[in-house]
Amino acid sequence: MAMCTVYTAHSLNSSCSISTPTKTQLGFHQKQVFFYSTVKKTSRRGSSNSSEITCSAESKTVVIGLAADSGCGKSTFMRRLTSVFGGAAEPPKGGNPDSNTLISDMTTVICLDDYHSLDRTGRKEKGVTALDPKANNFDLMYEQVKALKEGIAVEKPIYNHVTGLLDPPELIKPPKILVIEGLHPMFDPRVRELLDFSIYLDISNEVKFAWKIQRDMAERGHSLESIKASIEARKPDFDAYIDPQKQYADAVIEVLPTQLIPDDNEGKVLRVRLIMKEGVKFFSPVYLFDEGSTISWIPCGRKLTCSYPGIKFFYGPETYYGHEVSVLEMDGQFDRLDELIYVESHLSNLSTKFYGEVTQQMLKHADFPGSNNGTGLFQTIIGLKIRDLFEQIVASKAAAPLEATKA
Amino acid sequence: RLRIQAMATTPERISEKVVESIKTAEEVCAGDPVSGECAAAWDTVEELSSAASHERQKNKESDPLETYCKDNPETDECRTYDN
Repeated sequence: MAMCTVYTAHSLNSSCSISTPTKTQLGFHQKQVFFYSTVKKTSRRGSSNSSEITCSAESKTVVIGLAADSGCGKSTFMRRLTSVFGGAAEPPKGGNPDSNTLISDMTTVICLDDYHSLDRTGRKEKGVTALDPKANNFDLMYEQVKALKEGIAVEKPIYNHVTGLLDPPELIKPPKILVIEGLHPMFDPRVRELLDFSIYLDISNEVKFAWKIQRDMAERGHSLESIKASIEARKPDFDAYIDPQKQYADAVIEVLPTQLIPDDNEGKVLRVRLIMKEGVKFFSPVYLFDEGSTISWIPCGRKLTCSYPGIKFFYGPETYYGHEVSVLEMDGQFDRLDELIYVESHLSNLSTKFYGEVTQQMLKHADFPGSNNGTGLFQTIIGLKIRDLFEQIVASKAAAPLEATKA
Repeated sequence: RLRIQAMATTPERISEKVVESIKTAEEVCAGDPVSGECAAAWDTVEELSSAASHERQKNKESDPLETYCKDNPETDECRTYDN
């Protein structure tokens, strides 16, 4: 397969330099072309030599969107996801120490806060929160995600969470898999159109409050009142701009208080629902025992030790915002993570490469939050589903030019 | 009053800012509790708290022996051979 790198960086000076060091590799000519121009991708099609254009289309990037409010476990999910693809995700080497980007061999995760159009002082002056679309530059977000999807490198700004300022941009090269995570990945219809798969983490208010207490009470200056006030103040914007995005998601992970303990509000035992859209290309929902049936299952008994309050599974078809979906639900928590294999053996369509892969992935990160309940389990399953989706997209692209030559 | 001991310390530069931002938010909201300014002030608190928690996470993950071995891989306690 011909490998080819085409990087276009948008810079201010419109000098154009084309270097073509031709070297033979596996019988193919590899060329590196660098374009520097102010005008967006004008010189791509205009080039008389067409070889580099055909091969750039071959290595098209798969784009995944992850939406969730701040403090709802996006980073844990990202760590589980990148782990499925192997190799640790790290910030870009030698760049801005406050960069929000994570890069591994296969994946690049970019934080959409980097597309804030207003910095902290700007938002303060205008009286808008970061949740407000007015504080975000969706035109730039669309342009850059589109460019990366087409295999073109971009100079992406950095929003510094510590200083609250927009730092000088960093160069992002097109990865195999691009994950855009943040508050608004599915807000703009143009950006939504670019996503190959989208996920929404839906944390109920009770659980969000419990999680933020865990996160912030140790911090100096915080009190129960300040945590409550912060959630309350952001809620109108959250309900108006973030929450509606879940109707567009291909998978939603809903985290609710347990129903196994009456009147529980500790937020330690969770009822987690994985809502999977039907009919999404390259994505077939997971099912329990029998596809399409409605099943309630309590695995505790002779084969699985559960202490109070036990574990309860549910599976069945439902409607979600007018879409047909399959829902898999787990209420309760595991006492012994290795016994998860018993549950895994009863789930189908997991897209694992070998028997026990879900359990193995969970055991690998036993120290991550949520490893003993449905959040960790469903995040891991979605990670495997994304790997499967990626492999299918790559395979279908490799098949397409073959078909063309046959015809 | 509920007090929980910190598991790992937040770097001073963020910790200071969190305290400051909470104070500002309380002042701004004292005048008008439903204004955009009030929401923006609490949003800043959330942003800083989140940054502080990420920073804590980063610091927690350092194992003393592993940190030492990164700098001194040829010492007795750090040497590892694949075969």
